[in-house]
Amino acid sequence: MTTLTLSMRDRLKRYAAREGFGLFALIFLIIFIVLPILTVLLWGFAIRWRFPAVIPTEWGFDFWQETLSRADLRRAFPNSIVLSISVTLLSMVICLPASYAFARMNFRGKQFFLLSFLFTNAFPRLGLYVAIAIIFFRLGLVGTFAGVVIVQLLNTLLLMIWIPTAAFQGVERSLEEAALDVGASRLRVFMQITLPLVFPAVFAAVLLTFVNTFYETYGALLIGAPNVLTIPVIMFPLINNQPIPQYGAILSLVLFAPSVVLLLFANRLLRGGYLTAGFGV
Amino acid sequence: MVARSTRSLLPYILITPPIILVFGLIFFPAAQSFVRTLTGVDGSFSFERYLEFMNDRSSVTSLIFTFQVTFLSLIGLFAICYPLALYLRFSNSRVAYWAQMVALLPLFVPGIMSAYALIRFFRGRGLLETIIYQLSPVLSETYYSPYVKPEGIIIGSIWESIPFTVLVLLAGLRQVESGLIESAQDVGASRWTIFFQIILPLTRRAALIAFCLNFIAIFGSYTIPYLLGPAAPQTLGVLMQRTYQEYAQPLQAETQAVITFAVCALVGLLYVRTVSSQRTGRN
Repeated sequence: MTTLTLSMRDRLKRYAAREGFGLFALIFLIIFIVLPILTVLLWGFAIRWRFPAVIPTEWGFDFWQETLSRADLRRAFPNSIVLSISVTLLSMVICLPASYAFARMNFRGKQFFLLSFLFTNAFPRLGLYVAIAIIFFRLGLVGTFAGVVIVQLLNTLLLMIWIPTAAFQGVERSLEEAALDVGASRLRVFMQITLPLVFPAVFAAVLLTFVNTFYETYGALLIGAPNVLTIPVIMFPLINNQPIPQYGAILSLVLFAPSVVLLLFANRLLRGGYLTAGFGV
Repeated sequence: MVARSTRSLLPYILITPPIILVFGLIFFPAAQSFVRTLTGVDGSFSFERYLEFMNDRSSVTSLIFTFQVTFLSLIGLFAICYPLALYLRFSNSRVAYWAQMVALLPLFVPGIMSAYALIRFFRGRGLLETIIYQLSPVLSETYYSPYVKPEGIIIGSIWESIPFTVLVLLAGLRQVESGLIESAQDVGASRWTIFFQIILPLTRRAALIAFCLNFIAIFGSYTIPYLLGPAAPQTLGVLMQRTYQEYAQPLQAETQAVITFAVCALVGLLYVRTVSSQRTGRN
């Protein structure tokens, strides 16, 4: 009996020694990361929540209707959606052919041009947008939809070129050549062999681009405001000095919605290494 | 002959649209702003706009404050992420799986939502103080809220940067082959020797990439310092936005922007060089 409990204790000790750090890290991360996110969720469905109650004392959807019928949100919501869709589509049209060229064709200066997209990360965003705004001001693009599309497009280039380029490079040439040998047309080879093979990576790039654009704040703030408002931009005054916390919480949850889709694919995105490939790691 | 020349032009035609965007919206505006900030009112070469910045006490305070906040955030970030990534690399347990999932969560949270979440969690009488109060009311009296303080910016910057940093470090650590470590263990190398002689040198590149990109992102950030930081001193990002939009002084904002470029350009070059040497090394 004693030997059994001893071995149990031994095993527990060994487990703690092995996983001690992991458990500590997990608890820290849950407090530091999960609890703040949970706070937003709770505030979103709270009607009354006063200190020192750990959870709201009154629950309900009352604030949802109030928030969703706000005039600023009614203007910003369609803007955000239309902007994200236009930027994503434009980015695909511009970048996918280019990434095919980078992956499959040999030309002078290829490495240089491919690396030049890294510079989209090498400048602090806000500063760059101030510099761009001064040019856009002269072109009459400040405060216009087109102006915001152009700046947000800039943000998508690295992802939309590097991820598909890596995917096109990964397609086995011999597969395509075999199909050509048995008489398939180039178009058919592209549609039936190349495209299905690169589809997961391109899909990941499109999804990430859409979500990133939906969340984009600095370009919309500096170039779009006050005419073209997006959801993140109208949230600033609602978070700062707003006596009713529910507004910010509900808008946060609305903004978070596309992320839920992204989270569903999170495992596949991570396994494919797409997230870090977009940064050159 | 015609066919050949169109073929050799084709790649250039395909890459022209995104290249135009990069050159037209990054290099051109940055260079133009740089030249303009060095031009005096009379059109000749002059440092007057930088002198104006240097003579303005709040601008200089802001520059120093931004450096401090950025470095402290980076120190905290690496102190959390490096041990975490090491653990995740060498553990296959369920705890490790969940720790990784949680660590990556902020990646899916929009910046403005994370600012809101952290305010509601860390502010006085927020959820954290509430939980402490429930555990011990006496202890909660000593609660120090980082909200609207420099600590708020540091906590927020770390929070947002954890997923990216862990991913990059983990990608670097995955390139360290397990066989290498096992053979070092076989010849009797201690844990510390393995760490300092094998793991650390082999993850230098990943750590550099994480350092550079986080530096640039935190140094130029706006949302977190504006919403979580103090009213004064302000970070350069907040100062720039205020100067441009609230005070409507685009030229002063431009000077501030070029100064952030100059700081970040050094770090940015290091980043581009690190990635490009890695790529050419791989090919």
